[in-house]
Amino acid sequence: MDAFMVGVVANIGMMALLALSAYLLLLVGEVSFGQQAFFGIGAYAAGIATALWGWPLAPAILFAALAGAVGQFGVALPTLRLRGFHFSVATLAFAEAVRILLELFHYRRPVDGHLMGPDGEHGFRDVRYIFDNGIGALDYMLGIWLLLALVLAAFAFLERSRIGPRLRMIGEDDVLAALNGIDVIRYRLVASAGAGALAACAGGLYIHSVTYVEPGVFSVMLGVHTLAYGLIGGLGTAFGPLLGVLIDIGFLETLHGLSQYRMIVFGGLVALLLILRPRGLLDEPLANRLGRWLGRVR
Amino acid sequence: MWVDLFQNTIEGMANGSAYALMALGFTLMFGVVGKLNLAYGAVLMVGVYAGVYVHLEWQAGWAASAVAVVLGAVVAGIYVERTCFAPMRHGAAITSMVASFAIWMQLEEAATLALPRHSYPFPSLVEGTVIHLGPLLLRRDHLVMLAVALVVMAALEWLVRGSRFGLGLRAIAENPRAAGFVGRNVERTLFFAFVLASAVGGVAGWLVASADQHVSAMFGMWATFKGLIAAMLGGLGSLRGAVAGGLLLGVVEAHALWLAGPQIRDLCAYLLLFLLLILRPGGLSGQARIQRDAAAYGRL
Repeated sequence: MDAFMVGVVANIGMMALLALSAYLLLLVGEVSFGQQAFFGIGAYAAGIATALWGWPLAPAILFAALAGAVGQFGVALPTLRLRGFHFSVATLAFAEAVRILLELFHYRRPVDGHLMGPDGEHGFRDVRYIFDNGIGALDYMLGIWLLLALVLAAFAFLERSRIGPRLRMIGEDDVLAALNGIDVIRYRLVASAGAGALAACAGGLYIHSVTYVEPGVFSVMLGVHTLAYGLIGGLGTAFGPLLGVLIDIGFLETLHGLSQYRMIVFGGLVALLLILRPRGLLDEPLANRLGRWLGRVR
Repeated sequence: MWVDLFQNTIEGMANGSAYALMALGFTLMFGVVGKLNLAYGAVLMVGVYAGVYVHLEWQAGWAASAVAVVLGAVVAGIYVERTCFAPMRHGAAITSMVASFAIWMQLEEAATLALPRHSYPFPSLVEGTVIHLGPLLLRRDHLVMLAVALVVMAALEWLVRGSRFGLGLRAIAENPRAAGFVGRNVERTLFFAFVLASAVGGVAGWLVASADQHVSAMFGMWATFKGLIAAMLGGLGSLRGAVAGGLLLGVVEAHALWLAGPQIRDLCAYLLLFLLLILRPGGLSGQARIQRDAAAYGRL
């Protein structure tokens, strides 16, 4: 694989992790336009941990995941009683507030004689852990996909356990779920913390692969894509968001003639799909059929 | 001290009147279909860019650009209604909202492909002279802004409260099926509600652009956020609430800008929206319905 392809594949892996965080919330019926905020929080947390505090990569990513989980749990608590578009708009407002706070966030410390760290609007430069420690782009890409595989396996396990159907039941009708003795609030809170951790993980991986981020990266654009991946790919299985990312980055961004019109094609595609298949390409009936077919083959 | 307070409040009211118009558009669409149109700001952007295009290409003055802005917004609004709302009349509210989000990105990209520079000049309505009123300074274009906004609001109020079209609109907002049974053409009324909202938004976009005398590529997002925050502040679905919410947002922003700068101003707007949603999801008016729903939910 050449360097360009390695970059694209790594990007697909990171975006899939982010898309899965929005997917997890979609399962419990919450449409979040704000996952980019936790992506940003994770990026800054992991970057600070390696570049300023000298931590190794793995604990830094874990730290980012923790920050994301705590952050989204904190947002989920007050927004629990919001439903439908009220929740979506609240997450959107929160994410934009976080972006502006990151523009105002200065945390500069001298490292090896250079002043390092987040510098407000100028962003966070020189998060060079990968390069300083001689980790190749290919190895890093494989690491990202290993993590993604673990997360997908966890989702598959969740779907087969009793938890998966319960999450979907809450998403379908939370009142009915509550009447059936499901602790809706607890499930929503745990799902939120999980979604925050996933988004922050993706952010932590992202900042190390590009070495530089600025608050503008975590704009609403990123949030739309995050959400749209699940809706295009399908809400029937955790492979749906991955399929959505593959369609967008793997297909639209790599085709050079199309890249200029990417948002026009992508936006139209989302609108069209929502009319034809409101729950995405890999929706629940198709996911079930595929699952049964796979079972027979085995 | 007091002079500054008054000065900021007046400037906030002028900006707030444009916010109020955008909030009215949001509220009008939400009131009749019960769904949020996130592409509304992008619709306004298409309109304003159409005005810029006319201005650049034919050196059109303010009147021709104003017509182009409103027409552009109406055409874009019809496109959004046909793609995001008409095919999903009976679907979940969320589906339409997400589709409109996607169309937002599409319109914004199309507008920036047509006019790729970051910012463009826009013909000003009145040259920026100021009127001295005691210690206060009044910008002439701000006064025009307030006046035009007031006229549009009055016209809208009459259209919704006093005309036959408005009666149909309110009947559909109350119960679309019942309105259909008594012979209202629901499809057509909803369509015209979107056209009306886009036209009102077009006027707001034109007012803002001609007061700023330039338009940037951020206009779509800006308009969506300002209109949405103002509409939510007032309580989505309430026309008078939208006006109050717009003015409130304008005044709060003017003070925040004067006290702490543009970043803090934007931060204040977002935090205001977030806190309001948590504390009073129904906005300043319209809390009763939310509480009724919450009570019903609590009984289960």
